[in-house]
Amino acid sequence: MRNYFGNKRAIAAFALPALLLYTLVVAYPVAQSLYRSFFDWDGLGAGTFTGLSNYVKLIDDPLLLTSLKNGGIFALVLVVFQIGLGTVLALACADAKIKGRKILKVGYFIPVVLSVTVVCQLWIAIYDPTNGLINRLFQMLGIPYQQNWLSSPTVSIIAIAFVNAWQYMGYQFSLLYAGVKSIPEQYMEAAIIDGCTKWAAHRKITIPLMVETYKFCFIVAITSGIGAFVQMLIITNGGPGTTNFTLTFMIFRYAFNEFEYGYACAVAVFLVALSLLATVIINRLFERERITY
Amino acid sequence: MKQTRFKAWTIAVALVVTFSLAACGNGKNTSNAENSAPANTSETESSTETASAPANDQPVKLRIYAQYFDDDTKKPYDYAVAELKKSMPNVELVLDPSVQDNGQKLRTYAASGNMPDIFQVGYNDIKAFSTSKNIEMLDNAAPTAQFKQDLNPGNEPVLIAPDGHIYAYPYSGIEFQILFYNKKLFADAGVQVPIKTFDQWKDAIAKFKAKGIVPLSIFSKEKWIGNSFYKGLVTREEPNGYAALTGTELSDAFKLAAKQFNDLKVAGLFDLNATNTNYDQASSMFYTGKAAMFVNGQWEIYGADKQMGDNVDWMYWPAKDEATYDAMKFYMDGSGEPAGYGVSTTSKNKETAIEVAAFISRKYAEFKYTQLGNPIVSVKVDKPITATPPAMMQRLIDETLPNIKGFAKLNENVKISTAIDDNTQNLIVKDFSDQDFIKNMNRVLGEVNK
Repeated sequence: MRNYFGNKRAIAAFALPALLLYTLVVAYPVAQSLYRSFFDWDGLGAGTFTGLSNYVKLIDDPLLLTSLKNGGIFALVLVVFQIGLGTVLALACADAKIKGRKILKVGYFIPVVLSVTVVCQLWIAIYDPTNGLINRLFQMLGIPYQQNWLSSPTVSIIAIAFVNAWQYMGYQFSLLYAGVKSIPEQYMEAAIIDGCTKWAAHRKITIPLMVETYKFCFIVAITSGIGAFVQMLIITNGGPGTTNFTLTFMIFRYAFNEFEYGYACAVAVFLVALSLLATVIINRLFERERITY
Repeated sequence: MKQTRFKAWTIAVALVVTFSLAACGNGKNTSNAENSAPANTSETESSTETASAPANDQPVKLRIYAQYFDDDTKKPYDYAVAELKKSMPNVELVLDPSVQDNGQKLRTYAASGNMPDIFQVGYNDIKAFSTSKNIEMLDNAAPTAQFKQDLNPGNEPVLIAPDGHIYAYPYSGIEFQILFYNKKLFADAGVQVPIKTFDQWKDAIAKFKAKGIVPLSIFSKEKWIGNSFYKGLVTREEPNGYAALTGTELSDAFKLAAKQFNDLKVAGLFDLNATNTNYDQASSMFYTGKAAMFVNGQWEIYGADKQMGDNVDWMYWPAKDEATYDAMKFYMDGSGEPAGYGVSTTSKNKETAIEVAAFISRKYAEFKYTQLGNPIVSVKVDKPITATPPAMMQRLIDETLPNIKGFAKLNENVKISTAIDDNTQNLIVKDFSDQDFIKNMNRVLGEVNK
């Protein structure tokens, strides 16, 4: 092992291609975005250095609050549906008494492999206020509730977030299921022998032992929520007005509609910083309960 | 020894990376250097004369970036290219089909120093490219004087930019939005046409809703159409349109239009799903008789005529009362802005490219006029119309075009136009009132016009 680490050439040969690629496609663009965020730049000329003015402008931008609020709601919906429901389903599928587990596992994962566009079009039809499945279902059941799912300023963001939650729940489910299966069965057996109920055993043993899996799932769900974009673009195009804007939608709008690339870079830097902050907080929260075995 | 080799290897890799990155930087610097070419047209012309100036019969290949994806875009292009072959047989056009991406591809070309010789360009890109010196100023170019002379009356805004310069040769005239209606549905519901006032309009809405018909279909997933709808209401009171938004607050005309917009929404003018309806869905609702009215530009006449024949006509925008309607109906809901075929400052055959750009634009106009019977073109065409225009277009030719009093004018500020886009789309949905509209717009106007 010592010989291996002493061979600098081998380390360089293996690490450098990946490092180079990472530098070119990640580090360099991020550094460029940071650099350009200090400029008034339309994407064509050299731009004018304006210091922190783009960041000052960002603080005053009413879209920032809308975007942060929507990002928060989006992240919350993902956490509740993908991790919450994913956990229940993962525990159920890991239980030998449940019949048809194989079909269920495949079924949960099918939406993940579908095209986002297809899924969005499907849900646009389901949410249609006049002919959509949900409102029609309410009518059929005699429930006097009709909702304009995609136009309502309060409901539309939840409706859109649910589309993402539904599609990628299978992905989180597969991570959680793998986490459940990685816990030695003896722990569970011992708990049952000691008279513990299944629910209590999961609560006291399975879930705490899956802390590393949960950490990853939370990071994925929350950063996906903060930076959500595709579903908004396809389903409502961010509207009505700016109701469904997120930070990524802000970047898209300022860069490609208003041609304020410098300002868009400032928003992008803010998004990266926010995602990193969320990651650090999640890591800290889960660190205290780190369990090794 | 091993250590030395490793260091040498690391330095070599670092150098490769540095040179790669420096090469990227150099590319941009070169582009910037090109971009900072002198703005003075005569200077740029003389400097490129030696570079371009091919003998007239020498073959010249020009890359052209143009829309080419449906009949509306393919047919005029093919016509223009066929005509070009007759007039300038030595010129070969290499088509680079444009995409509907709000100018992103063209901007990428500009940023990477890879501009096509000739390109279709809209006003937003003209503004950016004129600043970055990617588009040739055509004020003193050879074909410009004649082009100006042949311009149809009133079409100056589509040729001359607000800064007083010419950057592109336009082919379209000033287009405008009108209200299409289904004659049979109107007759069946007992709605009188044209609708002249808001009270009549609200009355019509009630009649259509009672019959289960959507009063008006609008493809408001695209924000510009809600913006145009609002502008149509504004022009009944303020003929200059958005150009009048120079203060820090909305004037009474704009407030009234917002209130009318909101009242129409509350009365049920729009479909519940209007802000999530695209063009295909909205036009289909109208063509299949599910909606009584449809709002779009006058270019919809051809599609509507094809789909509905004699069962469709159009009307002017209603006003607060009949007197206002009569006084204002010929102020059109459309504002011309510079657009057309521009030429790159870096074209190796700039003079030829300019000639071709002007020629192609004229031929586009000629095609629209002669083959489609569409008189809304930039320049006069001295050839006869070979096609019979649809009845709606004929009405426009006979009744409207000779009497147009003015067009709404452009507001150049992107912040204002974006705010109108957003807030007019909001006005279409429940839970957003004209008071919200006024508050939001006043905030933007206060920031922009302070």
